[in-house]
Order: sequence, then C-alpha cells, then structure tokens
Amino acid sequence: MTYKSLMLRFLLAICLLSSTWAVYAQDAAAAADLDAGKSLFQANCAACHAKDMKSRLTGPALGGVEERWSAYPREDLYKWVRNSQSMIKDHPRAKELWAEWGPVVMNNFLNLTDQDIENLLGYIDGVYKGTYGPKVGDGGDTKVAAEPVKTDNTPMFIALVLVLAVLAVVLARILSNLSYLNEIKAGNMAAQRRTLVEVLTSRGVIGFVIFALVVLGGYTTVNNAIMLGRQQGYQPEQPIKFSHATHAGLQKIDCQYCHDGARRSKHSVIPAANTCMNCHKAIKVGSQYGTAELTKIYASVGYDPSTDKYIENYANMSEADIEKVYKKWIADTQVSSGGSVDEAKIQSEWDGIVAALTNPESGDKKVYGPIEWVRLHNLPDHAYFNHAQHVTVGKVACQTCHGAVEEMEVVYQYSPLSMGWCVNCHRETEVKFADNEYYKSYQVYHKQIQDGERTKVTVEDIGGLECQKCHY
Amino acid sequence: MKNKQHNQVWIGTEEFKNDPAFVAAQQSEFVELPVIDQLSDAEAGQVETSRRDFLRYLGFGIGAATLAASCDIPVRKAIPYVVKPDSIVPGVATYYASSYVRGGDYCPIIVKTREGRPIKVEGNPYSKLTMGGTSARVQASVLSLYDTSRFDGPARIKGGQIEKNKGGLAWADFDKEVMGKLTATSRIRVVAPTLMSPTAKKAIEDFKLKYPNTEVVMYDPVSSSALLQANEQSFGVRAVPAYQFDKANVIVAIDCDFLGTWISPTEYAGQYAQNRKVNAGQPKMSRHIQIESYYSLTGSNADHRVPVKPSEIGVAIVALYNEVAKATGGQTVSGAQLPADKQKKVQAVAKELVAAKGAGLVVSGSNNLGEQILVNAINQQLGNYGVTLGFSRYSMQRQGSDQAVRQLTKDMNGGQVDALIVWDGANPAYDLPNAGEFVKGMSKVKVKISLAIQPDETTMLCDYVAPNHHYLESWGDVEPKQGSYSLMQPTITPIFAAVGRPGTRQAEESLLVWGEAPGLNKSADQPYLDYLKAHWESAIFAQGQSEFKVFQAFWDSVLHDGVYELPAAAGVTVFGADVAAAAAKVRKPGNSEMEIAFFETVNLGGGQYASNPWLMEMPDPITRTTWGNYLGIPVNWDGGNEWQSLKGLNDREMYGEADQVEVEVNGSKQVVTCVRQFGLPKGTVSLALGYGRETTGKMGKALGNKVGANVYPWLMIDSDGNTQYYAASVAISDRVGVDEEFACVQYHHTMGVTARDESGAVVLDEATGKPLNVDEKTVMRLGAGYQGGLTNRSIIYHGNLGELKELTEHIAHKREEAEHLNQKTLYPYDEYSAQIYGQGHHWAMHIDLNACTGCGACQVACLAENNVPVVGKTEVSRHHEMTWLRIDRYFYGDYENPNVVYQPMMCQHCDNAPCENVCPVAATNHSSEGLNQMTYNRCIGTRYCANNCPYKVRRFNWLDYTKADLFAINEPLLHDEELPFGADNLTRMVLNPDVTVRSRGVIEKCSFCVQRIQQGKLTAKAEGRGLRDADVRTACQTACPTGAIVFGDRNNKEGEVASRMENPLNYLVLEEINVRSSVFYAARVTNRSEELDKA
Repeated sequence: MTYKSLMLRFLLAICLLSSTWAVYAQDAAAAADLDAGKSLFQANCAACHAKDMKSRLTGPALGGVEERWSAYPREDLYKWVRNSQSMIKDHPRAKELWAEWGPVVMNNFLNLTDQDIENLLGYIDGVYKGTYGPKVGDGGDTKVAAEPVKTDNTPMFIALVLVLAVLAVVLARILSNLSYLNEIKAGNMAAQRRTLVEVLTSRGVIGFVIFALVVLGGYTTVNNAIMLGRQQGYQPEQPIKFSHATHAGLQKIDCQYCHDGARRSKHSVIPAANTCMNCHKAIKVGSQYGTAELTKIYASVGYDPSTDKYIENYANMSEADIEKVYKKWIADTQVSSGGSVDEAKIQSEWDGIVAALTNPESGDKKVYGPIEWVRLHNLPDHAYFNHAQHVTVGKVACQTCHGAVEEMEVVYQYSPLSMGWCVNCHRETEVKFADNEYYKSYQVYHKQIQDGERTKVTVEDIGGLECQKCHY
Repeated sequence: MKNKQHNQVWIGTEEFKNDPAFVAAQQSEFVELPVIDQLSDAEAGQVETSRRDFLRYLGFGIGAATLAASCDIPVRKAIPYVVKPDSIVPGVATYYASSYVRGGDYCPIIVKTREGRPIKVEGNPYSKLTMGGTSARVQASVLSLYDTSRFDGPARIKGGQIEKNKGGLAWADFDKEVMGKLTATSRIRVVAPTLMSPTAKKAIEDFKLKYPNTEVVMYDPVSSSALLQANEQSFGVRAVPAYQFDKANVIVAIDCDFLGTWISPTEYAGQYAQNRKVNAGQPKMSRHIQIESYYSLTGSNADHRVPVKPSEIGVAIVALYNEVAKATGGQTVSGAQLPADKQKKVQAVAKELVAAKGAGLVVSGSNNLGEQILVNAINQQLGNYGVTLGFSRYSMQRQGSDQAVRQLTKDMNGGQVDALIVWDGANPAYDLPNAGEFVKGMSKVKVKISLAIQPDETTMLCDYVAPNHHYLESWGDVEPKQGSYSLMQPTITPIFAAVGRPGTRQAEESLLVWGEAPGLNKSADQPYLDYLKAHWESAIFAQGQSEFKVFQAFWDSVLHDGVYELPAAAGVTVFGADVAAAAAKVRKPGNSEMEIAFFETVNLGGGQYASNPWLMEMPDPITRTTWGNYLGIPVNWDGGNEWQSLKGLNDREMYGEADQVEVEVNGSKQVVTCVRQFGLPKGTVSLALGYGRETTGKMGKALGNKVGANVYPWLMIDSDGNTQYYAASVAISDRVGVDEEFACVQYHHTMGVTARDESGAVVLDEATGKPLNVDEKTVMRLGAGYQGGLTNRSIIYHGNLGELKELTEHIAHKREEAEHLNQKTLYPYDEYSAQIYGQGHHWAMHIDLNACTGCGACQVACLAENNVPVVGKTEVSRHHEMTWLRIDRYFYGDYENPNVVYQPMMCQHCDNAPCENVCPVAATNHSSEGLNQMTYNRCIGTRYCANNCPYKVRRFNWLDYTKADLFAINEPLLHDEELPFGADNLTRMVLNPDVTVRSRGVIEKCSFCVQRIQQGKLTAKAEGRGLRDADVRTACQTACPTGAIVFGDRNNKEGEVASRMENPLNYLVLEEINVRSSVFYAARVTNRSEELDKA
C-alpha cells in the first residue's frame, strides 16, 4: 500500500508539475484556467466525450471545436453548450450537428458560466494539441504504477539444496572411509567399505527422508486446506466479452461511473443494462467484436439499434420477431461496413447472443431480461463487507483489492479475499485520522500524536480487528 | 395490605414455595429435562446404532468430506437490474412513510425496505398521535405480508373449499361473474370493521350509485359500541373523545386496558408516560388507579389496583359517581351496594379525583351504555372535559355498532339480504357472540363475497373471494382523528401478481369496479391511486390550508411526511344525558360463586392476528404465557410461604405442567389450561379472547389454527344489544387433564432474587430480618459479612414517590457498597476505562422502568430486526425460546394484589463479562467500544458462556429453527403447519440481510443492534462529522411507544444517554458482582396514596 501510493503520488506530482509548467510556458495570456477546465470536463463532459478529444464516443470528439464554430459568434457556442436543443431548429451549425448525431441529446448545462466554458474550451484545446498534461498513451492519471519487481529465489534454493546434497554424500563417504580405516586399525580385516547404496539405504537416511516427507506433506496439505473455498485467480468466462481494458484502460471511464454503488452502498453494484445504454446508444459497433457482443445488451433491454428506439412491449414479443430485429441489425452492419451479408456469421452471432442471455438450467428461455453475469467475488455470507466504508471513508483505490482491472481483458479475482488478507490490511492501513471530524472522539490518540508518542493510527488501533466489525 | 416485607420483589408463586425445581432453575441457565421423556418418544425409541453403523457413517462422512472438498466451487451469478429504479441502491435501505391500519388499530409508520421489499416497520416521529411509537402488533405486521396462506388471486369457494383453477381465475372473468350476481335492486350489506379511510367511504358511496340498496355495517370484535352510544346521548357526538393522559394528574381506569389494547394504546401510552417519568430533582407524577376484574397490562402499571368481580363493575361506577356527585353537589343516583371493603376503596378513589378536579380523567372499557354515561357524568362533574378529554379532534378509531350487526344477523336470517360483502378484517362467523346465528343467516344470503386477505371462518363460508392487498402493498388514507389524516403507500409491488398469479386487488378498487364508478379509470396504471388523489384534491386539499398552491406539491409533501393535520375544530361539551336512567341500566352484581372475565390480549387482539407466529410466541405481559389462552386462576396467600390456588390447581407449573379444567358457561363446555394469576379478585377467573381460531390459513392447515379456546360463544348480549365481556356465572371442574407442554416463560431464565439455604428456605439477614441474596453458596458458608459475600442482589429497586429521597439514598448507598467490593479486584477496570473505553465510543443503554409499560413492542421489534427465530409451543415449553430481549415481570407490594415492575432484559454488554472468560474458542469477546461480541462462526456450542451469564440472556440454537440445514428431524414445526415455518422463500423475504441467520448449535444474544451501530458510524464518517444520537438507535429503542429505552455513546457528553446517566435513580443490575454492565436502569417509582392504602 505505502509503496504503491507513494509511487502514485510521485507520478501525480510529476504530471501536475509538468502540466502547469506547460500551461504557463505556452499560453499564459489565454486567461483560461485549464485546471478548472479539466475538473469541469471530468464532472460534466467525460461521460459522453472522449478524454483524448480525438475519438468519438457517445458525443463527438471535442478537439477543434472552436474552429468549427469560428464562423459564428462566440455566444452561439456558449448557448450550444448550455442548451443545445434550443438551437437545433434554426442555427445552421446546430442543424448540421443534429443531423449527424441525433437523436442522441446532449444534456443541458445551464449552470456553466461563460468563464467556465472558456476554461473548458482552453482545456479541450490544450489536450487536443497536446500542450496540456501528459500525452495520451503514456500512462494516464488513473493508471497504477508498475508493481515492484519480485525477485525469484527458487534457482538459488535449488542450487543450495544440490550443494548441500553433494556435501552430505561427500561427508558420508568420508565418514564410511574413516570408520572402515578404524575397523582395519582395530584389526578387523574382514571389514568392508560401505558402498554409496548402502549409505543411502541406511536407517538413518530413510528415517530422515520419511520425516522430511511427512513435514513437507503436512505443510502442503494444511496450506491447501486453508485455500479450499478460496478463488484467487478465478477468471470465468462471462456472458458478454466485456473488456475492462477497453473501458477503464483505454477509454478511462471512471470505475464508479458504472459501479456507482461503491461510494454509497455495501455493494459496488453490477451496472444495470441501462447504464451501458448511456454510451452504447451511440457506440453501436464494438472495436473488437463488432456487433457480436453489443447486440447482447440491446437484446436484453429491447433496444433496436437500427431505428434507435426502444421496442414497445418487448417483454411480450415473440422470439422469432426478436431474432428478426437483431439479425437485420447485424446484417445491416455487415453491409454498412463495406462487406456483404454473411448468413453463417449472422447465425453464429445470434446463437451466441441467445446462449449468453438464456439459461436453460434456471428455466430462463427469453433473451429479454437481465444479463446473468458470473459472480467473481464471493464473500461468505457471515462476513459483512461495505464498499462505501473503504471507498468513501477509507479512500482506498479500487485497484488495491481488485488489482489493475484497467489492464484486464477478462477480469479475475486479484486478491485471496481471505480473512488473513483483510486483517493484514487493517493492521497496516493508516486511518485518515486528521482530516475527518468523526475521529475527533479519539482524544487519547490525538493527544499522543500531538505529543509525538504516536506517528499514525491504523485501522487496528480503532478496533478494525474486532470480530463484530465484519461478523454480525 | 397482606405483605410481610414491602421491599420484597418476587416473580411468581413457586418462588415462595421453596420448590426445589425453582431453586435449581435459578442456579443454572439450562433446564434439565427428564431424559425419560425423550426416550419414550416413539421415534427416538426406534433408533439403534450398532458398531457397524458407526463405521458406516464414519466411512461415509470421510468419503463425503473428501468428495465435497475436491469438487468445484459452485458458479454463482450476479444479476443486475435491466433498468435500475432511481430509488433503489442495492445494499442501501429506503424508507417510506405509510400507515398501519387493521380495523380500528392505527399507527403512522415508516417502512424500511431493502431492494424493494419491506423488512421492518418503525414509528413515524412526525405523528402528533404516536410521536414515533409503535406496538407489538405494528412491529409484527411486516411478517403477515409474507404469510404463505394469503390468497394469490380471486377465487370461487364451494363447500368451504377454494375451487381449484389451473393458472388462477382472471380478474376480468371474476368481475363479470360477480357483477352478474348483483342487480341494481339487490339488498347489499357490507360488513366491515371500523373504517377510518375517507376515500374508502367515498368508494362505498360511489358503489351505492349503482346499488342504492347498499348499507355498511361496521362492528368491532372487541366493541366500544356503548361508549359511542353514551357519547351520542351525552353530547350528541357518536365518537370516542380525544383523551389527554398527559394532562391528567389523577387517572382512574375502570376495566380499561388503555396501555395495552383499548382503542389507541400506542398513543395513550406515549401520553401516559410523560407524567410517569420521574425527575428526582422535581418529583412529580400522575396517580393512576385501576378498578378492574382481571389483571390487565394497564392494571399492572397502576399505582393502586382495586380488584372487583366482573359483575361488580357497574356498581363500582355507580358508587364512584355518587361519591363524586356528593362532593361536587351533583345529583346522586340509586343503585346496588358494593361490598364494604370495596366501597371504602371507591370512596377514597373519589376523594382523589375530587382533589384533582379539572385535571383528572376517568375512563372505562365497559360496553354497558349506562356505565359509560355515568363515566361521562363523572368527568363532566369534575370539569375534566376540555382539559383531559374532549371532542375537539375526536377519535374515529372505533365506529362499530353492536346493534347494527345484531340487526344484520336478524335481517339475514329473515331473508332480507340479497348479497353480503365481507370487508377485509371482519370475521363475524368467528368473533360475534352469536356467530352461530350469523352463520345460519349467511346460508340464506344468495351471494356472499369476501374481500379478505387470507382464509378465515367467514371467508370460507362465502361464494367468492376478491382478496385485498396487504396494507404494505396498498394505497390508502386514514382519518384516525377528526381532521388528522395519514396516507398509506405501497412499499412493494403486490407480491402475487408480480410472480405471474392473478394477484390481489385493493378492496376499495373491487367495489368501484363492481359499481362501475365513473371516478375510476380502470385502464390506469394504478387506478385506486388516481381515485385517491382525486378525492384528496377535492375533499382535503380544498380545506383550510394555504401553504400549497398546487395539489401535486401538497400531495408530495403529505406523502413524504405520512401525516397531515387540518386545524382542530372546537368540541362540544354540553352534557345532556339522563344519569338516573343510566344508573338503572348498569350491570347487576351476580351472586354466583365464580365469575369469569374475558379480555383482549396485547398480542392477539380480537383474534385477527392469530396467524402471526411472532405475536403467537410473544409472551403475554401478565401471564407470560405463549401459544394459547390460559384460564387465569386466583391465588391466595396462606400467611407463610405457601400459596393456595383455586382447587389446588397448577402446583407443577415449575415443571412445565399445567392442569386442564373444564369450564362451563351457559351450558357450553370447553377444556382450557390454567395459569396461576396474582391480583384476581376472589371468585373470579379470566380468559383471553381471540384464540381458538378454526380457520386461519388455506385448507385449515396453517399457523394459529386451533390454538387455545374460542370464548366468543360465551359472550353475552345485554338489553341494549351490546356485547358483554364477562359471564356472571361459570363452573370450573376439577382437574381433567394435564398440559405437559406448558408454554409459560415465567420461570425460564430467572435470575433468582433471594437467597436460599440447602433446604430451599429463604435466608434472612439476622441483623435486618430481611431476605439475603446470595449467589454462591460457598461464599455463604464462610459466613455473612465476608468480603465478597453477595447479599441483597440488586435486580429491582422500587419505592414510593413520597419516599423518593430515601430511595435515592438507598440506591446511592448500595452502589457505593458495590463499588467498594468491585474495587477489590485484580481487574484494572479504571485503567482500561481510561485507555480504551475513554475514547471513541463507549455504548450504553438506559431503561427507565417508570416509562416501561411492558407492552412488548421492543420484543417483537428485536425479532424483526435480528432475524430471531420463533420456535413453537413445544420448544417454548422446553425453555428453548430464542428471544434476545425478554421482559421480566416482577411483583412487589401486597401479596394478593401486587404491583408490577417490568424489566426489559437483554445482554448487558458487561465490560468485565463472565461469559467471555469461559469461552474455549474465544467466540465471545469484547470490543474497544464496550460491546460484548458474539461470533457465530467461531462458536462450537459448549454453552459455557450461557451457564456463566448472571443475567441469563444467552440463547442456544438447540434445533434448526431457521431451517438452514437439510435434516428434517432438526426442523421443529411451530404448530402443525404443512411446511416448517420459515422454510419457504416467501417467509424468508422478511429477513434482514445485514444480520447473519444463525445455524443450529451456536449461542446467540443481543448485539446492541451492532449492524445499526456500524451503519450509523459509517454515515457519520462518510459525512465527516461526529456521531449524533440520531445515527444509532436500536430496534427496541425505536419501537418503544413511551421512550423508555435510550441508547447511545456515553462518551458523547451532549448525548441523551449521558444526560440520562445523571439520574440518581439509576442502578446497574447485579452491580455488586463486578461485571461492569452497560445497561442502566432507573428505579421504579410508584405514586401510592396513603389514604387509599388505608381504606
């Protein structure tokens, strides 16, 4: 934790420094506060507009927006940002945009001031031209620093064991030679030198080997028994080939945009299909799988991507009709992407969709309805875990427990989720003691910190190891 | 007063008898049941185990374990919403304001829902009526939502059976069929309990437009008909007045259980407690005198009880009236005389009332017109109207008329009724005194339609059932008091329709559909909601409010708050009844040797709650019995340690055996089980209403069926047509049988108040002559006065208001003494206290024994919050009840007519807990916040902790009460139900997902609602502020109607717990044993009058 967070802070500091430097050096006169623009962008725009300002997401790429609007008064652009729908009837540029992007409606941002929009535009331009902040691709700010390289000591151990074994054999030879000489000296001429085989099959050696095997076997058994029921590394195939690497890594969508329970609930919450639809109403063909995966979402919620409308009374629609709607969409896409209609491919994609959305075991025969994801993290029922406690109060990064999800094509269970693992973290983690009024009631610790008797308060110090913090 | 030592506290007759079983029981946590009982069990007798079997099971066990260990972990699915509702965040509770209504029972509530299902009901603090209080019935109502015996759609009923219909009957077809049977000229009668909903009444009016010959007949099973009639004759208002118990200095209740069952007990208890909590600095409290024939919850809280026979109530009222009239110069009336001793008492009561003129209150639960008029006259002469009671904002909680339902029975039998509609909650085929005649009459009605939510006696005699929603699925409104409204909103999608059955429908909607009311838009998403809103817009929004201009804003505001009040109208107070005529109507004193009083219990009401196992298993506050109604038999004191009960019955209560007798009233006989009962007047027995239901579920095979005896057929009807809840003559036979499963918790988990020597006799302190309290015999043998010798155990402190100074000094002295003992210890408590408990939180609870009325709301709230299982009658009789919170009942004062103090007893969270030291696996240990933690997954079930707990609050899961494992033999049935209770998914929806469901073989106990503590702490942390009192409130605390329980962090000096700590009446139970418990009790104070004591 400390190492990683230090690295993270270091990186962040560098980013910040370089960016501010870049701003001052480049365009100090623009009077736009690009940092303010950045936070405005993240708060208001990032859900629909790509962060690199170059690619299209739910909304158009924003890079170069000022040029595109340069033919009109600046106020028009302000108005467009604040309330785009009011302009699509008569403003020429707005009409153009609506023709291209409708029926996707841009949210209204009536609370943004002219200065806010200037800040935003400054930031957009800065990123677009590569003059603000780190360049896309060289490790964004959500990226976690590389793990420290773990040194593997196995070859050294093997070498050591081999050397010791040779040493033991040599010593055994010397010992048997010495005892042979001793016997000769004592006058026992019938004495024989013990062969290596005799040494190795002697009671002592066999006894030792058995002892060693029992110890090792017991150790392994106990360790494996402890691991029973744990699923570290569990990486099942999911009904939809959803890629966290694409969404969290490449597109840098905040974890909590989809897992919105993490900050306020015990559950991080698997997003509902309508959360997917926020973006995928616009992005209808995937970069990796084309229509094969995204159509599963449409089929589960009843959205017809061909007409951009939700299908009415979808729950009662016949399977054949549903099949028609989505096969048409897949075929159309094949055509529009410059190919010809490939019947076999359409059928196999449709079969994949049906397989992902139905479950013959539980009797779910309809593609309509929720997507049954395979649950990765299974805490025992008697353990209470609360995401909000860790994310909102403890400010623990998601990656601390879930690993670098933004690099995972298919997510796996990163941590053992064992009690020992929890407890260790509680022993080491420092509570955000100073900046939360809640901890004021811990007067003894505050005094100790003041007096210099204590440098930090860990979760353990405030009772984080007690049974009923997690079991009740 | 018949009492040796008035300081003494006792729990029951056995304690005085030196019964060896009692002595043993107070020593050990677990009762030793005779092994022979279990061996003689037929099933157990067949079990044989050979060596070969043993090896077989051993081999199987190892094999199975190996296989299980090598198998893959099952794949579990995580299924998100398709479209997530905005109001739901999985894992976060959502609260809705609503109203609990069942007949005339009403409580404004807040419903806690998780992932769209209600799991807990709390009181609505915005309400001026209940101020956030609840009752046991309200707390248990959430369980009835998930009752498996509910109707899942409309049905035809033929020959007492629900007609099977594959896939269910569609509402449209059903409506067509029903409407085909009704014509415009049909003489339709709607029989209903008290209806408080203005919109339901409007719906009935709309129904009448199509069927003009419709009449509504309202009646209440436990009737207040005479009270309504009396007020009509006295003041011209047919309503229950608004009572103000908080404004009364002297309260005289005559056969009136206003704290437990009468009209609006939650409201009255809240008012009552305001004047009963004692501030030791300014000692002032109201005086409460109870004149009654059975021992009611209210009587147990009174300062004085005057026990009279049931038939003497009328004369007592006449006597009281005459005494008051004499003192105030009113007109006296003539009537029969009370026995001299009781007459003297009544004279003293009248004196008290006259002294408190203008600030007294006389209430009566009598259903005799003359008596109620006299009670009105007493209040009138004392000038109480307009102060402690009045008709401004009068109550609508009882509207039933006994005469109307009598007329209906007559009309039906006379063929004057074409169609009968039975409103949900009415069950006349069971709860009328002449139910037999009603049933006969029903057979003469051509079409009978029931709107009941689940099968009952009346419904199964109908032709159709159009099941109503449960109130948690309904829209609705309530007008519990004139001009005071409350809304009801659904907190779950109607369950059955959501899973593909035809589903239930709101009763009002059914009527509107059949009446083809133009106001109902049948194609709307929620037709009744629109109807309700339309009615509110026209009838309520338009009246005297100026805050809101737009109806929707007004509606949203009321829906959010749950309650809404119009300005109160002035009430009338011109008394105009004829007292002399009234006096002639009062009941005549009987001359029979034995009389019987019938009463409503706190838990089961008039029988409408019989299918709710939480209520069935809740011990009656007074008799402490569960799962049945028991004949209360009087006990007399012989002057020594012996008690004589009626006919020497029930001398083996201590052993879990009770005698059964045959009771004969008016020639009809029933066998009932007895329970010994203090405080009954000589020659009087008592028996509860509401039991002996014949049909509570589908096919007559559900919970609460045939539990106890049905006493409705024994009720009488007086000359005014009002139901009388007593019989002036009853014959009690000798013992006819023995109930070996006597489910009375009176002697379970007793702490043992007094010390006994080896023969079992009470040890008296030689110096004072008072009983010694000793925990450990060994210490005692070393001699009294030995340091550490435990004398005078501090469990209950009580005193009279006049001796408050002495009481506080006594407590201070005892606590000092205990502290002195506790200082002689190796355990460095002060050090711990400063270092660990002194910072952060240190949880504590404070219980004011003066505010606690023993109503049991906390007990049921605890079950609901903590997934505590119910165990059934057999298991209760084996001392296996699982309640984390019990309410101990202690008697004190007069031996034959004692006062009662209730002591809610749960884990005391001792900082130096004896249970923790003895656990071999550290499954119970202490937290830095002072919580005694129980970790179920560590527990191996040695039960050492329970044996070492001085408070006896730890419970062991002897069997699989939560139906968690697969072995049927471990799953006890509660009461002959088809599927073990709680084994189905519907019932399990009530479970609180934040609390572990404990498996068999572990100990469990009160956790101070640790899930709520953790939640509250998290809220404060997330908001970055200190913890407030409101963040953490335990389930028992929120349920309490009187605010007796306060929980909080005692390190927070601004918190309520810290302020309550200042009370000089505080003490810790068993403080002298140095366990450093965290639950503080404020001693019980009564306000007895010397004059009444002498009289």
